[in-house]
Amino acid sequence: MSGGIARGRLTEERKAWRKNHPHGFVAKPESGPDGSVNLMVWQCIIPGKAATDWEGGYYPLTLHFSEDYPSKPPKCKFPQGFFHPNVYPSGTVCLSILNEDSGWRPAITVKQILVGIQDLLDQPNPADPAQTEGYQLFIQDPTEYRRRVRLQAKQYPPVL
Amino acid sequence: MADFTDEFEPLFDYTRVQPLNNIVYLDDDDDVDEDCAKKRRKVSVPVVEKEKTDTKVVQVVDGEETEEDWLPPPPKVSNNVQIVVGEDSTLRELRLKKQELVSFAQSAKDMLQTVEESAKREFGNSLQSSFEAVSEKTPKPQPERVKIVICIQNKDEQKQFRIYMDDKFERLFKMYAEKQKLDPKHLVFSFDGDKINPSQTPAGLEMEDDDIIEVHVKSS
Repeated sequence: MSGGIARGRLTEERKAWRKNHPHGFVAKPESGPDGSVNLMVWQCIIPGKAATDWEGGYYPLTLHFSEDYPSKPPKCKFPQGFFHPNVYPSGTVCLSILNEDSGWRPAITVKQILVGIQDLLDQPNPADPAQTEGYQLFIQDPTEYRRRVRLQAKQYPPVL
Repeated sequence: MADFTDEFEPLFDYTRVQPLNNIVYLDDDDDVDEDCAKKRRKVSVPVVEKEKTDTKVVQVVDGEETEEDWLPPPPKVSNNVQIVVGEDSTLRELRLKKQELVSFAQSAKDMLQTVEESAKREFGNSLQSSFEAVSEKTPKPQPERVKIVICIQNKDEQKQFRIYMDDKFERLFKMYAEKQKLDPKHLVFSFDGDKINPSQTPAGLEMEDDDIIEVHVKSS
């Protein structure tokens, strides 16, 4: 049963994460009000890289795993309307390693996904735009683009 | 041959010393096998099942007595012979060979088990001579307080600490701040993205060995 495989893998990912993850990142399965854990949805936090316009922001990201994981990648979503050239208006991240048909491999770990997305924040891929506003500002008005990025960083202060 | 064993069995049971009995059975094949088998069957059959279960129990539970019994009981072998009687001789030979091997393996296993058990017993005895009531059969004599290794990770490095599962974090935090020469007031510790209350314990957060606590230095 594929669902068993997905859950088994996610349990392993969870274990590995608890013992080793990059500083400032958070990744944990969603838990309901009754304390029950849903392994298929993870609430994560990606810190903006130091010395970039993204620094100081702690960006919430949700990973939605399907029963076909790890054959298929999880869907990774920022909050709706997140400002970034490669994030769809829905918040879904557009990144090659998260694409089943191009860069995804079942061996890619949750840690690699999150670090990959952190890299993407400061290094958008202009060849693969997903929203108009972010993309156009990035191409046409770098100054305004950076102002918007720094503004957004302030909207996501550290939760601690 | 039959007489021979009859005479000597009460004095010294060679079957115990030489469980394989291979010499005896090789001879049996030639002439006296029926005799021998019958005789042995009479003696052994009623005992077989009992003996089997008995010896098992004895070996596991009663380590003291196993020294006598670590060789497989002869009845097993003779039981096989009884089944075999009257069959084709090569088949019988094969069967006997197999039996030999099995009993050989069994005796080796039993011996190992006995040795292991007596070693355990000795070890346990010497350890627990002070607590007499504690049974040595409990898998781990649990120490009263369980310790856990926790990693505290800052931006640059990880440091490992060993603390009690039921120890409040404030002790750990103080220790860490002292080591890092930082004011504990400026440090925020988090586990799984949640701030850790210094009055909580690793057990309360269901922490496991090698789990990471993150420390953030307040920039204020």
